Amino acid sequence: MELSNKSSKGKMIVSGVIPFVFLVILIAYIFGPGSDLLDLGTPLPEITLEKVDFIDSEIQITVRNTGPIPVEVAMADINDRIQPAAVEPDRFLERYETTLVRIPFEWNEAEPYRVGITIEDGTRFEKEIEAAAPALEPTVDLVVFFAIIGTYVGIVPVMIGLLWLPFIKKISKQKYHFFLALTAGLLLFLGIDSVEEALEVSKENLAGSFNGALLVATVLVASFLGLYYAGEKLVNRAKSSGITKPVAIALMISIGIGLHNFGEGLAIGAAVGLGSIAFSTFLIVGFALHNTTEGIAIASPMSREKKVIRKLAVMGIIAGVPVIFGAWIGGFVYSPFTSVVFLSIGAGAIFQVVITILKWVREEGDKNLSSAAVSSGFVVGMVVMYLTSILV
Amino acid sequence: MILLLSLVLAFSAIAILPTFSEAQSASKTFVTHSGAIIQTSGEVIDPLYTASTVEFDPMVYLRDFNYGQVSQLPDGTTVREFTIVAEDDKIMEVSPGIFYNVWTFNGTVPGPTIRATEGDIVRVKFINNGEKEHTMHFHGIHPAGMDGVFEPVGGNGGQFVYEFEAGPVGVHPYHCHVMPLEEHIVHGLYGVFIVDPKEKRPSADEMVMVLNGLDTDFDTENNFYAANTIPFYYQHHPIQIKTNELIRVYVVNMVEFDPINNLHLHGNLYHYYPTGTDTVPSFYTDMITLSQTERGIMEFKYDYPGKYLFHAHKVEFSEKGWVGIFMVNENQDKGSEGYGT
Repeated sequence: MELSNKSSKGKMIVSGVIPFVFLVILIAYIFGPGSDLLDLGTPLPEITLEKVDFIDSEIQITVRNTGPIPVEVAMADINDRIQPAAVEPDRFLERYETTLVRIPFEWNEAEPYRVGITIEDGTRFEKEIEAAAPALEPTVDLVVFFAIIGTYVGIVPVMIGLLWLPFIKKISKQKYHFFLALTAGLLLFLGIDSVEEALEVSKENLAGSFNGALLVATVLVASFLGLYYAGEKLVNRAKSSGITKPVAIALMISIGIGLHNFGEGLAIGAAVGLGSIAFSTFLIVGFALHNTTEGIAIASPMSREKKVIRKLAVMGIIAGVPVIFGAWIGGFVYSPFTSVVFLSIGAGAIFQVVITILKWVREEGDKNLSSAAVSSGFVVGMVVMYLTSILV
Repeated sequence: MILLLSLVLAFSAIAILPTFSEAQSASKTFVTHSGAIIQTSGEVIDPLYTASTVEFDPMVYLRDFNYGQVSQLPDGTTVREFTIVAEDDKIMEVSPGIFYNVWTFNGTVPGPTIRATEGDIVRVKFINNGEKEHTMHFHGIHPAGMDGVFEPVGGNGGQFVYEFEAGPVGVHPYHCHVMPLEEHIVHGLYGVFIVDPKEKRPSADEMVMVLNGLDTDFDTENNFYAANTIPFYYQHHPIQIKTNELIRVYVVNMVEFDPINNLHLHGNLYHYYPTGTDTVPSFYTDMITLSQTERGIMEFKYDYPGKYLFHAHKVEFSEKGWVGIFMVNENQDKGSEGYGT
C-alpha cells in the first residue's frame, strides 16, 4: 500500500516535470547554438540616460543599456558638442547594466542642457535638462529640512484631519455612512492619481524595455492582493487580539495612505532635487491641503470607538511619516524605477483599502451600497479631491 | 507592526539597490578641452587617436599625391592612368570606439588625390566592387559621356573607363553621382582632383584638406566634422611645417547637410585662389566661407615658430572635430630670424 502510494507520488512529480523538459528542449532548439531559425533582422542597440547630476565643474550621467544587445559607450557630448569624459567602471554595458559617465564641464546654474551619449555604432542618445541645478548632497541640514517639510506635508495635515473625529462621532448613522463613502471616494481618487503618476514617470523616464505599464500593473496587483490577504488576517484576528474591526480597518487605511504619501514625499524630494523650487512650493502647499482629507479617511471608521486618541495619533504617524522617507529618497537617491515601484505599491494599497471600506459599509448598511448617503458621499469625496488636486 | 517593518525594509532595499554599481580600479587621468586634469577609476573616452591606432592616417593622406602611371602618346601628350576601386561594405573606426560603414574609392575616405597637368590625358579605370551602382563624376571640363551621371556602373565588378583631357587648372572634387546622391557622397565616395598649370606653381610644402562630415546615426545631421575625415586628428597630431616656407593647401569642402563650412587660420593670413583656376590670388584673408564642393588654394608662410590653430569658425564644427594645429618649426636651412622660443 505504502509502496504504491510512493510510486504514484513519483508519477505525479514526473508528470509535472515532463512538460518543463519539453519546454527547455523547445527553447534550446529555437535559441540554442547552431540554430538560425530566429536569425532575422538586426537588433537595434538602445541606452537610456537615466539620471543627470550637476556637481562641481562636472556633469554626471547614469547610463543604462536598455536594449537587446550589449553596447559600448564611445563618446559624450554636451549641447551636441563633443567632450572628453570618463566612464566608471567601464564603457562595456551588458543588458541592463549601468555605468557612470563623468564629463568635466563648467556648467551654469539654471541654464538648460542637452547631454548626449554616442555608442559604438555611431547612434547618439540624448536627454534634455530644463535647468541645471547642483545635485543635492545628503547634508544634515538638508536631511532635517526634508524631515520638517515631510512633517508639514504629512503628519500635521493628517492630524488636523483627525480633529474632525468629534464631529463625525456626533452625527447620525446615515451621515456616518456618508462620511465612510466620502473616505472611499477620496481614496479611490488617490489610487487613480498614483497610477497616473506611476505611468507618467515610467513613460518619461523609464526605458521601454522595462514595460512600464505592465510593471505598474504587476506591482499594483501584487500589492493589492498582499495587503488584502494581510488585512483580512488582521481583521479576523482583531477579536482575539483586542482590536475591534473598525480599528483594524482604520489601521489598514492609514497604512495604505502611508504608502501613498511615500509617493508624495518622492515627488517633493525629486522636485527639490531637480531644482524646480517654485514647483516644489506648489507641491508642498497642495499636498498639505490634500492630506487633511486623508485624516478624515482615517477618522471615519474610528468614530464609533471609544478611547481612540492614542490609536489615532499612531495611525496619523503611520500615514504621515512616510512623506519624510519619500522626500529623503526622492531628493538623494532618486531613480525612476524605484519611484514607479513605490507609486504602484501605494496605488495597490489604496485600492485594497477602498474595497475594505466598501465591504464594511455594505455589511453595516443592510447590504446596500446604493443609498443616497453612500452614493453622494462617494461622489463628494472624489470632487473634494479633484478640487484640492488642482492646487498641486 | 512586523508587516510595516518588513515593508520599510523592502522599500529601502529597492531604493538602494540601483546605486550599487561602483567598482574601484587603478586611476587614470585625462585632460579636458579647457586644460583641466581629471582623475578617474574607470575608462577615458576621448576622441583622441594615437598614430598607431588610427585606421586611416590623415597625416599620410595630407601630402599623398597620386600622379598615375605615366606614358606618352605619339604626339608627346602625357597619359596618366589610374585604377580606382569602389567598395561599400567597409566598417571603419572613424573616431575612437565609433564604427561607421564607409563607402570608399581605393579603400579610403577621401579617395586618392588624383593629380595631373593641364592638357594631360587622364584615364581612370573604374572598378565597382560594391553592392550598389557607383560612378565617378569629375568636376571640370570633359565630354558628356565621361560625366559619370548617366552611365551607372553596376556593382560586383562592373567597370568603366573615364578618359578626358585634364582641365581647367585648379583644384576640383570628384565624387560618385548615383542617386540618392546625398547618401553616396555622405558615406565617403569623394576625393580631390588637382590640375596643375603647365608652368608649375612655385615650389611649396603642399597638402590637401578635404573638409568633411560624418552622419553616423543617419539623421541628416553630421555627428562629426573634420579636415580629412578623422575628427580632432590634426589637433593631437599637429602638422609640422617650417618658418618662412611657402605652404600651399588645396582645400575642398565636401560637407553635406550644413549649407556652409569655413577655414580660419590663426596668427596669419593666406592668399586665396578660389577654385585654383587663376594664378593671381583673389583675397588676402584669414577666413574663407565655403559652400558644398566649393574649393580653392590657400598659400601662406609663417614668420614665427610655434603652435597655430586652424579650424572652422563655425565653432560647432570645430567642437565636433574640425580643428587642427600647425606646428611651425624653426627653419634651419634658411637661417631665419628666430623669433620666440
